[in-house]
Amino acid sequence: MIHLQNIEKVYRTDTVETLAVNSISLDIAKGEFLSIMGPSGCGKSTLLNIMGLLDLPSKGNISIDGKDIRNMKDQELATFRNHKLGFIFQSYHLINDLQVLDNVELPLLYRKGSEKDRKQLATEALEKVGLSNRLKHFPTQLSGGQRQRVAIARAIVGKPQIILADEPTGNLDSAMGDEIMDILINLNKNEGTTIVMVTHDENMARKTHRLVRLFDGSQVL
Amino acid sequence: MLKNYFKIAIAVLKRRKFFTFISLFGISVTLCILMVGTAFIDKIVSADYPDMKRERSLYINSIELRNMKEGWMNKSLLSFHTLNDFMGSLKTPEKLAISSQSTATNTYVNNKKIVVDYKYTNYAYWEVMEYKFLEGKPYTAKQIEEAQHVAVISEDLKKAYFGDTGSVLGRDLEADNVRYKVIGVVANVSKTLLYSYANLYLPYTVSKVSWKSSDLMGGYTGVLLAKSVQDLPKMQAEYQQMVRKIPIGTKEFDHLYVAADPYLAGLTRNGFGNEHDTGVAKVIAIIGALAFIFMLLPTISLVNINITRIMERSSEIGVRKAFGASSSTLVYQFIIENIILTCIGGIIGLLLSVLAIYIINAADVISNLNLSLNLKVLGYSFVVCIFFGLLSGVYPAWRMSRLNVVSALKAQ
Amino acid sequence: MYKHLFKLIWNKKKQNFLFLSEILISFLVIFIVFSFVVFYYQNYKQPMGFKYDKVWRISYNNSQKTKSSDTLTLFYEGLKRSLQAMPQVKEVSYSGGNVPFADSHSTTNIKTKDKEFDRVNNYNVDISHKQVFQMQLLEGKWLGKADRTDKGAIPVVINKRLKEKMYGAKSPVGKNLWYGEDDKKNTREVIGVVADMKYDGDYYGGADGMYSKIDTSFYRWVGTISLRVSDDADAAFESKLYKMVANTMKDSNIEITHYAQMRESKNAITIIPLIILMIIAGFLIFNVALGLFGVLWYSISKRRGEIGLRMAIGASGKSISSQLILESMFLATLALIVGCFFAVQFPLLKVYDVQASVYLYAIVLSVLFIYLIVFLCSLYPGKQAAAIMPAVALHEE
Repeated sequence: MIHLQNIEKVYRTDTVETLAVNSISLDIAKGEFLSIMGPSGCGKSTLLNIMGLLDLPSKGNISIDGKDIRNMKDQELATFRNHKLGFIFQSYHLINDLQVLDNVELPLLYRKGSEKDRKQLATEALEKVGLSNRLKHFPTQLSGGQRQRVAIARAIVGKPQIILADEPTGNLDSAMGDEIMDILINLNKNEGTTIVMVTHDENMARKTHRLVRLFDGSQVL
Repeated sequence: MLKNYFKIAIAVLKRRKFFTFISLFGISVTLCILMVGTAFIDKIVSADYPDMKRERSLYINSIELRNMKEGWMNKSLLSFHTLNDFMGSLKTPEKLAISSQSTATNTYVNNKKIVVDYKYTNYAYWEVMEYKFLEGKPYTAKQIEEAQHVAVISEDLKKAYFGDTGSVLGRDLEADNVRYKVIGVVANVSKTLLYSYANLYLPYTVSKVSWKSSDLMGGYTGVLLAKSVQDLPKMQAEYQQMVRKIPIGTKEFDHLYVAADPYLAGLTRNGFGNEHDTGVAKVIAIIGALAFIFMLLPTISLVNINITRIMERSSEIGVRKAFGASSSTLVYQFIIENIILTCIGGIIGLLLSVLAIYIINAADVISNLNLSLNLKVLGYSFVVCIFFGLLSGVYPAWRMSRLNVVSALKAQ
Repeated sequence: MYKHLFKLIWNKKKQNFLFLSEILISFLVIFIVFSFVVFYYQNYKQPMGFKYDKVWRISYNNSQKTKSSDTLTLFYEGLKRSLQAMPQVKEVSYSGGNVPFADSHSTTNIKTKDKEFDRVNNYNVDISHKQVFQMQLLEGKWLGKADRTDKGAIPVVINKRLKEKMYGAKSPVGKNLWYGEDDKKNTREVIGVVADMKYDGDYYGGADGMYSKIDTSFYRWVGTISLRVSDDADAAFESKLYKMVANTMKDSNIEITHYAQMRESKNAITIIPLIILMIIAGFLIFNVALGLFGVLWYSISKRRGEIGLRMAIGASGKSISSQLILESMFLATLALIVGCFFAVQFPLLKVYDVQASVYLYAIVLSVLFIYLIVFLCSLYPGKQAAAIMPAVALHEE
């Protein structure tokens, strides 16, 4: 599904050159649930961002679902992200001035479709994460775990093939974290969604299919 | 302590150059416009050449006759007779200046047309006003009595009529088809001096329109000069008594009023007041309201920018608070920053208004209008500056003091 | 998408209170300026209604000692003939002081059989007045030598504005009217209609007016002679003219002015305050625009996370910048709705007796102007936002 070949990412400032990701090649199969682990600053978030087309690699090739990313223009990339990918962030990144339902339907606004359809899909997504009774609330009125669930609903509302999660349980206590993991595992098992998750938590990683360890930008083990 | 605040303020302003620029631009231009406006108003209201004794003068500019039943009225300048015989009978005033409203006529020199604004005056006029004589002197009481055809002219008229020459004393000048002998040349008077402006001054006895008419109305105005500022109320009281005794002389009207006002009230009563109300309060209120509305936009804009600046520094504020700075310290610091900003803006505004006034004077839009920034104008502007700075700083400072440390540190 | 953005803005209205009030007050300021501009422009577009070039005015005060109308008539008719004899003088007309550009107005009430009209300008003129100013006759006849009409009434000529007000589309010729204080003896009859004249300069429209012939008893009050002169009338001629008139009326003050110059002075007095107002308003608005620019810039940098998020879920750079611009426009719309509510009171209440169309044009122009400013102020920040790489925006740590 995802094919990374010799990916390198260098950050340049006036004085310092940092090699964040050093020649990583990785293949992720369709329907796989992959964890990426490693200490802080080892480049795992960078790798995830590159996979999610949020950042461009300094060197190397990416292809997703058979399509080579290199020659895609801004509009193509945007459309691609909209249809194929879903994101979950550590700090949720919900829009506080919008109600829960409006937050969840956000990806659908960048696609064609009627208002009625959007509301329908968003409600379904919220049911899947167990928040059907909080449609009209604002994010500031929810707990951390509930907010992350809204974020997950937003990530799946467009029925993407791939979900990229950056430390999804990082800001939650263990009970909440387990709940979130369960939702993700069910998603992977029942819908067949490919999930790539960056995490600190050994326990969470153990529940997934495969584990990749990074250290100083390179793959180990 | 203050020096510390000052240093921090300058550093902060330098850090965000664009915001600082916007704020300075807004403040300086606003203040420049306010200062030029104040200079204009000051010019019109304050004592100005040649009317230098305004603080102890009362001005009589119009007389109004009414028919209270039918509702019609007649309003005009006064006749010479009214001023000379009635106002002239008062004991309290030191002097009574009588002069006609300046009227335009033509004279033709070498087939060039010159517009002459002429005025008839009595002798006391020259004692009340303080004209600067570049040549000669005013006509004497005797010359007035003998109705001699002598004239005092302005510098501008001298140049237009005689050209750029030496003394013109004793030379003849023809205006309105009458020949006069020039016996004095005075410095130019600005047209904004409604009751002193002219470029040809003549004894009233040579007037073609009879000054002996017994009508109440005519073409003259008067200035009552009191012996001192303290004498003004006494003079006003005697004046009011005398007015009540003026006979109206015609059945067409049954009510008369003629006011003797201080200069500003005399101006405003004409347009904004009536018999019972000088209109000064109204005019001040209108000007104040206009100035307020004018300042509203820049103030709101400034408040908005200040809030933005604060929010931008919220993490810095959070850190300071976390390390022990009290709310009041931060508020003081911010307000001082703001006042420094407004003062810098004020200085720039001052420079801009000096430039603007120079341009206005040079453009000669209103001839002989010499605006200046005197101390009074500067004083007002300084006060406005501080007021502005406080106004645009208080609300943002209050918002800032309510910033919660933790949320300030978390938010990015 | 529009509904989504509008919801976003509506939920943020409290935060943006200052922004909204800035837009509101700017709109009101611009509305006032545009009202003046439209008013003066509309009046400017209307035809003058007469020709003022090469027309001079002689002002004098009637200092003749006699009170006898006949003597006065003889005197002034004689003066008129002397003037007409001069080669450079083409037409001569006496009139009251309310000539064009003179800032002198005389009004009266008039009534027809069933209605009353007030504040009608009352012009007492010589029959040659029409030639001096080349007035345009639209209907009927101009004043003639006859003192009374066939029906025994006093002839008057009204202008187009007054005619439409009094008679609509019907012809007024032959109809009767009376001055406010008239009685049955002084019935007046309309004999003609002339085009409106802009007496107060280019920037003020015509007012209701009525012309009557000066009669012999009028010479006591007349102080104005208007002359149409030939193309070669120069300063030398003016000097000669002056001397002639001054010698004829020895006890009077004489002044000669040109109507063309009077028009320029009148126009200047009208236009200069407006120009000052526009300059000041311009500075204010520029100030506001800069402020808006800064505030928008800041709020965008505050929302980097949201921008990164939207890009992550599939918004293109163009979509982001147009979103930000649209948001500002919606915000401005909220303020403009309140502003229009206030502004629309002006045409509804016919403030200052000005036509509603002036205010309506001014509202439209002001709204467009404000939108333009907001659009320009959000263009650059919007473009900057679009150029952010999503990873950078989301990566705050």
